[in-house]
Amino acid sequence: MILQNLSIKRKLTLITMLTSSLALILSSVSFLIYDLVSFRHLLTQDLMTQAEIIGYNSAGALEFKDEAAATATLSALTAKEDIVTAVLYRPDGKIFAHYFRGSTTLPSYLPSRLQDKGYRYVGGYLEVFHDVTLNGERVGTLFLQSNMRQWSMRARRYASILIVFVLVSGLFAFFVSSRLQGLISNPILHLEDTMRMVSTNKNYAVRAVKSYGDEIGRLIDGFNTMLSEIQQRDTALQSTNGELKTRTQELEEEIFHRKQTQEELLNAKHAAEEANRAKSTFLANMSHELRTPLNAIIGYSEMLEEETRDSGKIENVQDLRKIQASGKHLLSLINDVLDLSKIEAGKMVLHLESFEVSQVIEEMVTTLQPAAAKNGNSIHVHLADNVNMMRADITKVRQILFNLLSNACKFTDHGTVSVNVEQIKTADRDWIQFQVRDTGIGISAKQKENLFQEFAQADASIARKYGGTGLGLAITHRFVQLMKGRIWVESEPSQGAVFTVRLPAQVVTETSESAQPESAGKAPAASSETKTGLETILVIDDDPSVRDLMTRFLTKLDFHVVAAANGEEGIRLARQVRPLLITLDVVMPDCDGWTVLNRLKSDSQLAKIPVIMVTVVDNEAMGLDLGASNYLIKPVDRDRLAVLVEKHRVTRSSTITDDNPVPLSYVADRPAGSKTAGTRVSRTRRN
Amino acid sequence: MQKILLVEDNEMNRDMLSRRLQRRGYSVVNAEDGEKGLLLARSEAPDLILMDISLPAMDGWEVTRLLKANPSTCHIPIIALTAHAWVTDRDKAFEAGCDDYDTKPVEFGRLSEKIENLLTVRKL
Repeated sequence: MILQNLSIKRKLTLITMLTSSLALILSSVSFLIYDLVSFRHLLTQDLMTQAEIIGYNSAGALEFKDEAAATATLSALTAKEDIVTAVLYRPDGKIFAHYFRGSTTLPSYLPSRLQDKGYRYVGGYLEVFHDVTLNGERVGTLFLQSNMRQWSMRARRYASILIVFVLVSGLFAFFVSSRLQGLISNPILHLEDTMRMVSTNKNYAVRAVKSYGDEIGRLIDGFNTMLSEIQQRDTALQSTNGELKTRTQELEEEIFHRKQTQEELLNAKHAAEEANRAKSTFLANMSHELRTPLNAIIGYSEMLEEETRDSGKIENVQDLRKIQASGKHLLSLINDVLDLSKIEAGKMVLHLESFEVSQVIEEMVTTLQPAAAKNGNSIHVHLADNVNMMRADITKVRQILFNLLSNACKFTDHGTVSVNVEQIKTADRDWIQFQVRDTGIGISAKQKENLFQEFAQADASIARKYGGTGLGLAITHRFVQLMKGRIWVESEPSQGAVFTVRLPAQVVTETSESAQPESAGKAPAASSETKTGLETILVIDDDPSVRDLMTRFLTKLDFHVVAAANGEEGIRLARQVRPLLITLDVVMPDCDGWTVLNRLKSDSQLAKIPVIMVTVVDNEAMGLDLGASNYLIKPVDRDRLAVLVEKHRVTRSSTITDDNPVPLSYVADRPAGSKTAGTRVSRTRRN
Repeated sequence: MQKILLVEDNEMNRDMLSRRLQRRGYSVVNAEDGEKGLLLARSEAPDLILMDISLPAMDGWEVTRLLKANPSTCHIPIIALTAHAWVTDRDKAFEAGCDDYDTKPVEFGRLSEKIENLLTVRKL
């Protein structure tokens, strides 16, 4: 384990050294063993040859039992240092002669008995037995013992050489491997250094140096490529960061600027509102201050006229009338200016009511008859059959018609002024269209441009010739806009003019058009009556033709109708508009009428709204059980439906009158320029 | 002869209106401020009151409210007269209990029609 954690450098050195030393030791040892074995073999051969020679030489002595001769033969062995013992045995095994190097006594290790001929190694000695023969007959046995001194010396010497050799070569291997391991370890260590540098300093610009084209070289290449990529990304990231910072700063600045601007705007708005309030107050006061003396002028001149006529001084009557007319003209100017300022201040409010269109037309024509007669004009009226009721601000409709008709009369001399009224149907709604056509002086294309602008009479000369404030058409235009209508003119100079005004048959105010969520919490009695004053009926039916028919029918009865195509929508709308009553179909996909009825009646806020079932399903008992007020079977008897809804309206109105008097609709002092039916103050009760 | 109480602070208007009303055959009682108007409404028991709204000290709204709150005068019809043509004035007039409303300068024909209407209603 310790080895594993060594540095690559050490590991490489160690591996090289171990490998080379082991190989060296192995080869040396095998060589040594081989040499020693063969040397021992040589020694053995040599000893056996010696034994043969000595045996030959001492055969005679054995034959002749000449001990001395035998001993002498043996003594020749002194020259042989290795041989430590030589013994001649007689055939019976008794020692005949002997030789012991360095001693005369019989060594204890002599073999106790004769062995077979041959050699063997016993206890570090080489022993040889040799049969001594004479003429083919065994006469004795020779025993030789060698201490193998030569062999052990050689072995020792060889071992020493080996050790020295191994040590020296080990050292050499260490030296060489320490030098050469750098080939592998240096690039790796360099790579490691580079890596450390990158990770410590976060400096992606450094690169590892590639030394060789081997695997490590490729590794370094890969590493460098990786670094380049990281560096690129880092640079990109940094520049993005920089951009982001700059952008954030810019945004902050922008926000600051905007806030400033907003504040300035708010201040400006407050100032403007303040100025506007001041203007309104000023106008209100001015109109009061101007009207008071005018009141006296007009009043006294009228009074004087009456008195003068009574006393018979007819010649003064004309002058008094001129005073009166001028006073009234001045008053109409003041009124026009006041109207415009009211429109501009957003204070002009629509007072919507339903009225007979024919009646208004009749009124206006009667009113303007004198004006028409003055220039010798005749007024023709054509009222289409499909025109009957409309719902709008009657005062403003009157004023629009008055302005158009009086203009027509004013600019036409001995001609015809015709009024054409019809009902027009477009994709989204019904319109009442009033068309006033004259045969007068007409309007040029250039004059048309500013026709509906304030104080922009077609021509300055016209103002001198015909009089007027130049506000009439501007006010007319604004009134038409207020009621979401359109006004346009077609004319050529000296060809007469056609003014067309198109108003919705059912004018609605902004507030009644979009159901207001804040009304949701109020009592149903208060919320179903929109600002237009119309009671709302909610029609829930999946059949579009039924919805359409019901809507038309109920609208004619002067109800505001909201229709829902399914139960869910129906319940949602019921919550939103709090209708006066609900008509409900039974057979509908998803959520049938019974379910809707059940849900309506279990909602504490909606439970009080009466529900009239309108269905093909004949199950009145079920409907009434679930809480429906009435049960009508399709096809619906319209008269009965009308009676039922009227009954609910009456019930509701009586509730309103009790705690909150029905507001009176009122027609203001318009226009004072002439005695007109339109200026008459009328007081009517709604419903 | 039917009696009309005219509450009006402007002398010219008062003079002119009262003379014209008298020419129409009404007997006219004049009051130049609200307090006098209140007193005269009680003492003279007029058949109708023409009430100018912009009066010094106690304004016409206040006078109308007091008159309508008093059982002895609450039945007398009141026509408010104001120089302002704002819609809020109209609503205010009915809120205060006025029976009708007209703007100044008075168009005498229109005003006398209103007077006639209210007096006829009362007779019924």
